[in-house]
Amino acid sequence: MEKQQFLHPKVSLAHFFHYRSSSVFVVFVGLVVLFSFFSHRRFISGGNLQILLALGSEFNIVVLGVGILMISGEFDLSVGSIVVFCSFIFIRLFEMGMNLFLAGLITLGVGAILGWLNGLITVKGQIPSFVATLGTMMLWRGMTLLLSQGFSRSFDVMASPTFSRVLTGVIGGVVPVQIVWFAGLALALGLILHFHRFGNWIYATGDNKNAARAMGIKTDRVKTICFILVGVLCALVAMMQIVRVSTFSSRVADGWELKAVAASVVGGTSLMGGIGSMVGVVLGTLIISAIENGLVVLRIPYFWTYTVFGLVIVLSVLFSRYVEARKLKHISKPSETSPGET
Amino acid sequence: MKADSIGESRGVLVKMVNIHKWFGKVHALKGVDFEVKHSEIVGLVGDNGAGKSTLIKVLSGVYLAEEGEIFFEGRRANITSPGDARKLGIETVYQEQALAPNMSISRNIFMGREPTKALGFMDKKAMDKASMEALRNIRLDVASPDLLITVLSGGQRQGVAIARVLHFEAKLVIMDEPTIALSIKEAHQVLEFIKQLREENISVIFITHNLYHVFPVAERFVILGSGEKIADVEKKDTSIDHLTELIVREPSRL
Ligand SMILES: Nc1ncnc2c1ncn2[C@@H]1O[C@H](COP(=O)(O)OP(=O)(O)OP(=O)(O)O)[C@@H](O)[C@H]1O
Ligand SMILES: [Mg+2]
Repeated sequence: MEKQQFLHPKVSLAHFFHYRSSSVFVVFVGLVVLFSFFSHRRFISGGNLQILLALGSEFNIVVLGVGILMISGEFDLSVGSIVVFCSFIFIRLFEMGMNLFLAGLITLGVGAILGWLNGLITVKGQIPSFVATLGTMMLWRGMTLLLSQGFSRSFDVMASPTFSRVLTGVIGGVVPVQIVWFAGLALALGLILHFHRFGNWIYATGDNKNAARAMGIKTDRVKTICFILVGVLCALVAMMQIVRVSTFSSRVADGWELKAVAASVVGGTSLMGGIGSMVGVVLGTLIISAIENGLVVLRIPYFWTYTVFGLVIVLSVLFSRYVEARKLKHISKPSETSPGET
Repeated sequence: MKADSIGESRGVLVKMVNIHKWFGKVHALKGVDFEVKHSEIVGLVGDNGAGKSTLIKVLSGVYLAEEGEIFFEGRRANITSPGDARKLGIETVYQEQALAPNMSISRNIFMGREPTKALGFMDKKAMDKASMEALRNIRLDVASPDLLITVLSGGQRQGVAIARVLHFEAKLVIMDEPTIALSIKEAHQVLEFIKQLREENISVIFITHNLYHVFPVAERFVILGSGEKIADVEKKDTSIDHLTELIVREPSRL
C-alpha cells in the first residue's frame, strides 16, 4: 500500500541519449575534429559551414523522412526519383507562368501522391517496400527523362523574389534559410516521433507489427502516412534545389536513396524497424554531409568519397553495437534481482 | 468492490452456444458449448489440435464461427473483430506477440490507447504513473516504466502484458499458453499474476498443456478433444490424474 515515488535520475539521463544516439554523437564530434585539424580549420570556417549547411540541408531534409519511415519498418529507395520528378513538375508549372506559391503547393501535392503510391503498393500489394520502391525509383526517373528528353531547363529566381527567399534566402546575411527549414522540420518531426501518440504508433508498427495490430493500431495507415511524409519532403527539397541553382537537371538527387539509408543507419536506425531516434537521424545525416564536404575541403579526390562512406558506415555501426551491448548489460543487472518474491 | 461477488453464486459472464467452425474440410469445432462465470478461472485443456485456440479465437473475434451464438453478460454479442471483443472487455494475452521489445514498459502498456494532452501529444506522466500502479497491482516490481521490454525476463514480460489488461479493466482475459517456454520460476511468477487477476474480479480462460500449471489456479476444467467438449468438471470433483486420463482416453469416445 506504500505510495512510492519512482525517481530514476540515471535512467532518464540515459533517456536523453535514447538508443544509440550517444555513440553517434561521438563519431560526429570525432569527424569534425579530424576534418578541422587536417584542413587547418578551413572546415569550420564560416564560409565553409555556410556551404555545408545550405547544400547539405537539402539532402538532410529528405533523410528526416527516410529515417522515420525506416523506424516504421519500411524503406524508400525512390527518394531521388521523387525529387527529380517533382523538380520537373515544378519547372513546367513555372514555365506555364503559374503563381509560384500555387505551383509549390501543387508540387507538394504531387510529392504526396508519389509517396502515397509507394505506400499503397507496399501495404495493399504486400510487396516488400525495398522492391516496391526500387520499381518506382526507376519508373519516376525514367518518366522524367522521357518527358524532359534529358535537357536542362532554366528557372528565373526573380519570377518571385519572395518565393526564392522563403526557400533559399540568407537570414541576416549569415544563416542560410535552408538550415532553418532543416532544423524546424527536425524539431517538429522529432516532437511528433517521440512525444505524439502517432510517434508511438510508428515505433510500435516497426517494432512488432502484430502486437501493434492486436492493440488496434492501423499499421497500414501508419506506414502509408510515413511514405507520404517522405514524398512531401522530397517535393520541398526539389523546389529548394531548383531555386538555388536556377536550373532543372534530370540528374538531380542521383544516388540519394542509398545515401539516405546509410545516413539513417549511421544514426542508429535499425534496418528491421522499431529502433531509431530523431537525434540519431539528424546526427547521422550531418555525418554523411560532413564527410562529403570534408573530403572536398581536404582536397581529397572525389573518388575517395564512397570509400570513406563505406568505412564510416561499417565502423560506426560496429561501434554503436558495442556501446549498446555494454549499455544493455548495465541496465539489465539491477532488474535481475527484482522479479517478485515467489 | 472486491469481495462481494465472490462468495455468492456467480452469474455467467460469457456463454458460447453450439459453436461450429470449419477450416475448409476440417471441422475444427463441432458444436461446442462453453461458459465462464464472473471472476472464475477456467482451465481449457486438451490434446494438440483439439480446437482450444480456435475456440478462443472465435471468442476474441479473430475467427468468425459458421454457426453458434455468443452471449456476454446475458446479452447476445456480435463479435466480428478483435476490436468488438475488446470493446466488450475481452482481452487476449499471447506469449511474446503482444509486446514491442524495443519500446518501454509504459509505451507498451498504452500502445494504441495513449492518454493525450493537447493535440494528441502523449501524457507521459500519466502513462508512467498508471503503468507502475498496474504493475504493482499484480505485484510485479520493476525499477522504472522506461525500461525496454528486451531487458525484462520472460516472466516479467508476461506480467507487463497482464498489467496492460488489468489497466484497461478487462472483464475476461484469455491466455493461450502463457507459461510455455518459461523457466519454472518464471512460470510460477505468471501463475501468481493470474491469481491477482481473480483478486480484481477478472475472469480468466487459461489454455495450457501443463496440468501442473493450471490445476492449482483454475476452479473448473473444460476438456476439448477433436473439436468437441468431452468434459466440464469442477476442481473439487477431479484431480490431475483424472484429468490426464480424460484427455488420453478421448479417442475411444464415439
Ligand atoms: N487457420 C487454420 N487453417 C486451417 N486449419 C486450422 C487453422 N487453425 C486451426 N486449424 C485446424 O483446426 C484444428 C484445431 O486447431 P487448434 O489450433 O484450435 O488446436 P489447439 O487445441 O489449439 O492445439 P494446440 O494445443 O496444438 O495449440 C486442427 O486440426 C488444426 O489443424
Ligand atoms: Mg493452440
